[in-house]
Amino acid sequence: MTDVVQDQSVIVDRSDEVERIAKKEAWRRRLPILPALLFTIIVTQIPFALSVFYSLTDWNIVSGVDREFIGFGNYGELFGSSLFRQAAWTTVVMTTASVLLSVFFGTLIAILLDRKFFGQGFVRTLLITPFLITPVVAGQTWSTSMLNPQFGVVNWLLERLGKDDPIQFAGQFPTWTIVAVLVWQWTPFMMLIILAGLQGQDPSVLEAARVDGANSRSIFFQITLPQLRPFLELGTLLGSIYLIQVFDHVEVITGGGPGSTNLPYFVFQRSIGGGWEFGQASAFSIVVVIATIIFATLGLRLLSSLLEE
Amino acid sequence: MATVTYDSASRIYPGTEKPAVNELKLDIGDGELLVLVGPSGSGKSTALRMLAGLEFVDKGSILIDDRDVTLTPPQDRDIAMVFQNYALYPNMTVAGNMGFALKQQGVSKEERAKRVMEAAKILDLEEYLDRKPKNLSGGQRQRVAMGRAIVRSPQVFLMDEPLSNLDAKLRVSTRTQLVDLQARLGVTTVYVTHDQVEAMTMGHRVAVLDHGVLQQVDTPRRLYSAPANLFVAGFIGSPAMNLIEADRSGDELHFGSSVVALPADVQADLKASSATRFVIGIRPEHLSNAGGGLNSNVTVVEELGSDAFVHATIQHGGGDVTIVVRIDGETTVSRGDNMPISIDGPVHIFEADSGKRLGTPPE
Ligand SMILES: Nc1ncnc2c1ncn2[C@@H]1O[C@H](COP(=O)(O)OP(=O)(O)O)[C@@H](O)[C@H]1O
Ligand SMILES: [Mg+2]
Repeated sequence: MTDVVQDQSVIVDRSDEVERIAKKEAWRRRLPILPALLFTIIVTQIPFALSVFYSLTDWNIVSGVDREFIGFGNYGELFGSSLFRQAAWTTVVMTTASVLLSVFFGTLIAILLDRKFFGQGFVRTLLITPFLITPVVAGQTWSTSMLNPQFGVVNWLLERLGKDDPIQFAGQFPTWTIVAVLVWQWTPFMMLIILAGLQGQDPSVLEAARVDGANSRSIFFQITLPQLRPFLELGTLLGSIYLIQVFDHVEVITGGGPGSTNLPYFVFQRSIGGGWEFGQASAFSIVVVIATIIFATLGLRLLSSLLEE
Repeated sequence: MATVTYDSASRIYPGTEKPAVNELKLDIGDGELLVLVGPSGSGKSTALRMLAGLEFVDKGSILIDDRDVTLTPPQDRDIAMVFQNYALYPNMTVAGNMGFALKQQGVSKEERAKRVMEAAKILDLEEYLDRKPKNLSGGQRQRVAMGRAIVRSPQVFLMDEPLSNLDAKLRVSTRTQLVDLQARLGVTTVYVTHDQVEAMTMGHRVAVLDHGVLQQVDTPRRLYSAPANLFVAGFIGSPAMNLIEADRSGDELHFGSSVVALPADVQADLKASSATRFVIGIRPEHLSNAGGGLNSNVTVVEELGSDAFVHATIQHGGGDVTIVVRIDGETTVSRGDNMPISIDGPVHIFEADSGKRLGTPPE
C-alpha cells in the first residue's frame, strides 16, 4: 500500500544547514544576557581585581608616602597579627552560632506554622517582620530599648523577677549579644525557607508513614527532616555568606568592643575606620572572601554529613 | 486475618453539606477481595481512608475483626495501604521503604532484612533493593508500594487505584498478578478503582458507589446480570447496556414499534408503580440481528475479530435512538445497511426518575 523510498540519491543531506541554524540559535540565546554580564564584570570583578592589586602594596593615605609594591608582605603580616587571629576567631564563632541557632529556631517555628489555623497569615507576617528591619535599626533597637543596663526592657523584666544589679549585655557578653540580635533577625528568613520545604512535602507520604505505624516523632526524624535537607542547606549557605560579612550590628551594638571585632569590622578599622592602611585592609578583605567560600562549603559538608544518618 | 465492617459510616467534610460517604453499610469477609467502584468523586477514596483512619468517621462506626476502630489512629489499626501515587519515602532506598513499618514495630535488623528479601523475591525487586524510588520505573515503584504492604503481613490491605498510573498493557498484567498474590496471601483486601472492568475482573465481590451512597454489593456475575438499579445498569458493562426511555402505554412498554414481553413479576411491579416514564435496559449481546421485527440503520461497526459491536439507530418514541448490538464477527454489516433486529435475552426495566428496578432479580 504505502511507498517506501528506495532511491538513496533523493535523500537530502541537511547537516550543514542544521549546524548553521544551531549556531545562530545559540547566539540568539546568549545575546540578551550580555549586558548583564558586562555590568556584573564591571561592578564586581574589576573592584575585586583592584583589591587584589592594593593588597600587594603598602598604601597608607595619611602618611603621605607613595604607594609601594611589596608583594605578599601584607599577607605575611596578617597571619602574624594576634588582632587578626582574634577577629577571625570571632567571625567563626559569630557566624557558626548565629547560622545554626537561626536554622534551629527557624525550623521549630516553621513546624508550628505548617498547619492550618485561624489567623495563620497574620501570624506569619508578624513573624517575618524582624527580617525586614534594617540591620542598623535592629541593632539600635536591641542595644537601647531592649538590652540597655539602665532602661532596657530585658533588665527591667529581670529586676521584676528579683535580680538587683542590671546586666551589661553589650559589655559582658559582646559577641553573644550580637549573636542574639542576629538570630532574632535571621530566624524568620530560615523559617520561610524551611516552611517552603515543609509545604512542598507530599502529604500522602506522611499518611503512608502513619499507616505504617510511625508516630509523629519518627515521621519527623525519619521522613520530614531528610526531605528538608536541600532547604536546610540553602538556608545555611545563604546565612553563612551573609552573616560572615556582618558589620552594622557590630558597629551599633558594641562598636567592636571587647572581643567582638569580626573580620569585616577589622577591615573597616584598618582602613577608613582610622587605620588608613588600605593595602593591609585589602589583604584582609581578600582573606574574608576566601574564608567565606571555605566556610560556606564546610558548613554545607557538615550539614550534609549530619543529615546523611 | 480479619473481617471488616462499615456500620452506617458517614463522612461529612467540614464546610460541605452533603456527606462524601453516606451511611455506608458493608460487611467484608475474611480473606475477601472486595472492590469499591464508582465514578470519580463518588466517595471511594473517602470510604477507604475512613477504614485507614486517615479521615474521621462523623457518624456510624468501623470494625476490624469485630474490634471497634472508629477512633483508633491509623498507626494502631494494623492495616497496610497502597496509594495511587505510591507515596514512597523519597529519602529511603527500596529496602528502607519496605522495611519501614517493621522498623517502627522494633523488629530486629536481621529479621527485617530477611522479610524484605522474601517480599522482594515475590515481587521481583531483589536487584533494586538499594535504589532510591526516583531511579525506578513506574511499574517498579508500584511493586515497591505493594512490597511495603506485604512485608508487614497486616490484617487488611487497602489499595486506592494502585494501577491507574501504569500503562494499559502493564495494568492488565499487574492486575492478574495482584489477584494471584492476594489469593496466595489470603489477606482481606479492599481495592478502590473507577474502572469497572478492573472491578469486574478482580473482585470477589464488587461494591458500587455513587454520590457517596452504596448502590449494590454483589459478585461481578450478579452485578452484570441483575443490576439493582438504573445507575448500576449503566455503569457496569462495556460497552454499556442499552438504556432506552419509554412512556408506559397502559401496562405495556414499547421498544421501537413492538411491545416488550415482560415476566410476571415485572408486570406486577409495573402495574403497582405510579411512575409514567420507564427505562428499558438491554445488553448488546441480548439484541440479535438474526431477523426480527425492528428496522435499524447501521452507523458504526466496531470489529473486534471474534465479534463486532454495531451502532445503529432505531425509530423509537417518535425520534431516532442509537443502540448497540453485538453480532457474530463473521457477519458482514457496514454503515448505511438496514439491519432488522430483535430482543433475544433478558430485559431490565427501571423507573426513569427513581432508578428503581422492577421485578425481583433472578437468583
Ligand atoms: N478534603 C476534602 N474536603 C472537602 N471535600 C472533599 C475532600 N476530599 C474529598 N472531598 C469531596 O468528597 C467527595 C468524594 O471524594 P473522593 O472520596 O476523593 O472520591 P473518589 O475517590 O471516588 O474519586 C468529592 O465530591 C470530593 O470533592
Ligand atoms: Mg479517589
